[in-house]
Amino acid sequence: MRVLVIEDDAETAAYVVDRLKAGGHGADHSAEGRDGLRLALTGGYEALVVDRMLPGFDGLVIVKALREAGRQTPVLFLTARGGIDDRVEGLDAGGDDYLTKPFAFSELMARLNALVRRPPLSQVQTTLRVADLEMDLLGRKVRRGAREIDLQPREFRLLEHLMRNADQVVTRTMLLEHVWDFHFDPKTKIVETQISRLRSKVDRGVERALIHTIRGAGYVIRAPS
Amino acid sequence: MRSFTPSAGLAMSFARLPRIFRTASFGLAVAYAALFTASTIVLGTIVYGTVLNSLEHQMATRIDAEVDLLREEFEAEGLSDLVREIHERTAYFPALSYLVTDAEGKRLAGNLPSMPAHVGWTDIETEPAPGGSVEQNLRVRTVSLGHGVRLAVADDLGPIEEIQEAFLSALGWGLAAFVILSLAGGILLSRTFLRRVDVITRTAEAIIGGDLHSRIPLRGTDDNLDRLSSTLNRMLDRIGDLMESLSQVSNDIAHALRTPLSRLRQKLEIAKTNVGDDQKTETVIDAAIDETDTILDTFSALLRIAQIEAGTRQAGFKQLDLSKVFETVADAYSAAAEEQGKDLAARIEPGLWCRGDRDLLTEMLANLLDNAIRHTPAGSNIEVTLAGSDTGPVATVADSGSGIPLEEREQVFRRFYRLDQSIAQPGNGLGLSLVAAVADLHEIELCLEDNAPGLLIRMQFRNAACGKEAAHAARTDSHSKHRSSFGGLKSSAATPQAAGR
Repeated sequence: MRVLVIEDDAETAAYVVDRLKAGGHGADHSAEGRDGLRLALTGGYEALVVDRMLPGFDGLVIVKALREAGRQTPVLFLTARGGIDDRVEGLDAGGDDYLTKPFAFSELMARLNALVRRPPLSQVQTTLRVADLEMDLLGRKVRRGAREIDLQPREFRLLEHLMRNADQVVTRTMLLEHVWDFHFDPKTKIVETQISRLRSKVDRGVERALIHTIRGAGYVIRAPS
Repeated sequence: MRSFTPSAGLAMSFARLPRIFRTASFGLAVAYAALFTASTIVLGTIVYGTVLNSLEHQMATRIDAEVDLLREEFEAEGLSDLVREIHERTAYFPALSYLVTDAEGKRLAGNLPSMPAHVGWTDIETEPAPGGSVEQNLRVRTVSLGHGVRLAVADDLGPIEEIQEAFLSALGWGLAAFVILSLAGGILLSRTFLRRVDVITRTAEAIIGGDLHSRIPLRGTDDNLDRLSSTLNRMLDRIGDLMESLSQVSNDIAHALRTPLSRLRQKLEIAKTNVGDDQKTETVIDAAIDETDTILDTFSALLRIAQIEAGTRQAGFKQLDLSKVFETVADAYSAAAEEQGKDLAARIEPGLWCRGDRDLLTEMLANLLDNAIRHTPAGSNIEVTLAGSDTGPVATVADSGSGIPLEEREQVFRRFYRLDQSIAQPGNGLGLSLVAAVADLHEIELCLEDNAPGLLIRMQFRNAACGKEAAHAARTDSHSKHRSSFGGLKSSAATPQAAGR
């Protein structure tokens, strides 16, 4: 994917751009708001990573201008603040996700992947499928092959989120935000426990597991190769 | 020096006045004295005028009646009868004085010294008689009876003058006494006041000079100054607490970060000595990254608490389903609690609403459950409740663990404070500080109680905009009214520290 990083801190920018390039992605960098906006409008990027606090410039302005120009390029905000109000502000301005500095690159990558591969809103899915695991979103039913799996509401939402992002790593923080609507880091292993319960229901007695833990990054659901 | 403007000169001379005359209480006493004097003078003038008027009217009536009677006598009986009548009257009724003169102005009868020049009313002054009688002021009515005959009837103004004098002197003495008394009272009041103000000034100066524990002595009279002093003392206590907690926090930050930083350093050293052993190096570097994350988490938590305490989030308060927040968090933690061998039960009354910040309230409850799960042994029971009450929703989080000793209950809300037994466990000692900050922002009174055994944390929602669903429906229209009062409410909310006592 082609990503534009608008970030004034040279070290952070270099870190992100280098890691993106190392992962086989195209990445450009702009250290300044106006230049960044120009590139974002003309460069044909698939995603933007925008720092909120640019010198003399709020990253929000870029996103507002972009949306007014009719561009739907997904935007991931980076914020260095305590992060209490930034999420709502960023999302209100037309941002798609946010990440508080400092962050792990794996977290940034997982979020970019989720943003870029997000299906358009018009495309309403009623069934999700990964290998022989099938989720009926209307009937709220899950089957693995012929076996019906009985899930608690929370487990259902967790599985749904994993399946919507099939083949992509979903981080613990992303799950907390999307499945629990928790925008902080609980000290108790909520996600881990819920994943292990889900796994025991989905992958129980089956030779080929679908839910995998990616160490230091998160979880992924994918068909066995 | 000569270029003094008059007002500057006045200001200078005011400044030169003894301090006592410049106090507010003295000024007030003077103002009251002036006001009272003015109103007394107005009242006195009215009474004086009325009384005088009435006395003079009485006198005129008496003289008129006498003149009419004598005129009838003259017209009916003639001059000689009138003369005889007047002789009789001067002999037997000395209250009034008379005089009758003929056309040539010759005295026919009566005891008035002379006939006034004009007809009508005149005031005359009699010469003191050689016999020793005192001079008299008389009011005379002179009438012409025809044929050149004139009659004068007079009454003594003396009694009226006496009343006048008595009245004026009584008023004068009274006012003089009043002015003296009120000035003396003003001075006395001011002196007392100044003495007490001086005490406050001395205390303030002592504090400026470095004696932070100095406090204004109270007299126990519960008057204005006593209450002011007590308020100032409480303000000083609060400032003292804040300064103490500030220095405690900086100390604690230094301590809290030194440990992970030194561990980080050790790990980097180990990584350096292990160059060549890729697997070991990777493990050590992963551990170093974890250590860094811990440090960053601590900083984020500190920043979050500071942001919450700044109170700006109140602007984003919304009406929210409190019961749902509690249900969501309890549900999120139940599996994890079970996994660790603890039973998490929830009794949550549905339909309770509150104005607040959903994310922060969620985080507050989550922190309390984190604590309850992490600091209790396996097999413990944890219970979350939420119920409506007359004074607003009440929530509790209770566990059957080892609880918190009474003497430490107040301190657990302090940043970085950790009970001895929990030092070995992971955590940064900021969880309950965040809980306290969120509670304070939402006007929730926090109480730590003994669950015998274990800890019970009670959260009483004091905010008037929290309650049951029916109340919520009635209130939705008046949101703007409630909102305007939010800014000022924070200071009046019970601080969790105080509530913990």
